[in-house]
Amino acid sequence: MKILTLRSTNLAGEWLAVAVMALAITAAAPAGTAAAAEKWAPVASEKLMQLPGDFLRKAVDNDFARSGLAQELVSLDEQVAFKRSTLADLQRAIERTDDADIRLDLQHQFLNEKRNYIELMRENQEIRRKRAATKVRLYERLLENLNRQRRATTPAKAAFIAKQTAARERFEASASQIDERLLTSAAASESRYAREYAKNLSAVQELVAAINAHPMNAAPAIDGQPVTRAEYLRQLIAENQGDLAVVDQERAILGHMAKLVSLDALALSEGIDSDAYAEIDIDADEDGPNQVTSAVEFFTTRQ
Amino acid sequence: MTNLKRVLAGTATAIVLTALAVPANAGTLENMERERAIMIETLLSGDIDNNQRQGRMEIARTRLVDLERQVLRDKSLIGKNRPLVRAAFDNYDLTFVVHASVEKNRSVADHWLSEIGLSTQAVMNARTGRR
Repeated sequence: MKILTLRSTNLAGEWLAVAVMALAITAAAPAGTAAAAEKWAPVASEKLMQLPGDFLRKAVDNDFARSGLAQELVSLDEQVAFKRSTLADLQRAIERTDDADIRLDLQHQFLNEKRNYIELMRENQEIRRKRAATKVRLYERLLENLNRQRRATTPAKAAFIAKQTAARERFEASASQIDERLLTSAAASESRYAREYAKNLSAVQELVAAINAHPMNAAPAIDGQPVTRAEYLRQLIAENQGDLAVVDQERAILGHMAKLVSLDALALSEGIDSDAYAEIDIDADEDGPNQVTSAVEFFTTRQ
Repeated sequence: MTNLKRVLAGTATAIVLTALAVPANAGTLENMERERAIMIETLLSGDIDNNQRQGRMEIARTRLVDLERQVLRDKSLIGKNRPLVRAAFDNYDLTFVVHASVEKNRSVADHWLSEIGLSTQAVMNARTGRR
């Protein structure tokens, strides 16, 4: 009994420490330890600007997938999934055990694992936030480049291009008629250039048709509606800003979780225990491992 | 499989960019202008008789048809705001003289002279005098 009292005192101290640490996590700065080391710095290059249609988004996603940040995210996802199964196992074990000492130990372990889970999720969120913020910055730079190119076309240059277009249109409209007249009136036969050009033109038109019909060359579209490149970039920016907002919200959820962990720790240290919360079937959740909401049950259920 | 996808994606990007960066023919406009100048020189030359002029004009016209088309189809000239290019596209009728003349159903000589303001009527009405 004396030993148990001593042990309980030690446990209370540890739980207090857990509570303090959990509160510290709640107020922690966003910079992750492992995540900070990994970087992803895509460049808003001219090459990227020239990519057709949705190929731009795919190129950016591929670039991210090759980065150290993506590898870190994959690794963290695996760790989070593993941590969730650990939490589920511990929760089941606590439910099944009748021995008060073992139950106390398991509760302590459960609390620690919850704290570790929060830490992992915080790193995971930080990487996702970095990914979304980097994408927003990249797409904003591309949009800026696009606007700069558009502004570079002065009225004089635009008028000049219009003249060139008019000249081409005039030529195209009269080309066949001119061909007829030249061939019937002139003593000279069709030139080698004209023959070769006509021969190549059909091949070029066939290839252009194939390029236009190619799925990878589809024009940028939002919900099936063709849009300009600028509109498409603005859509990508909005999507990633939405991701950033979701990550911020998830950070608030983590904060609440951390607070609950600290309260649980305080409650355990004070020897308060109650089964006030309803039992939840832990196998019922089918959410992905990186969904912070899928772990809420571990924090809302008191053992 | 992932490596293969990476290689394929890289190749696709490289091919697209190579295709976009095909260099255009240099000097199509300069070639055309040189030929046009020779044709006008032939047209105004007083050192050759009419038959010679006719023969040379016919050769120049055939050659100019191709050269004018090369200029009109030259995508590298789009938006090239250089004085030579600007001047060329300022007046279609004078620059693409063969195409414009056929379009208007006139001989190249008649067309060119009328575009610079010299009609047969104007020449006939002219009188010799001192300036």
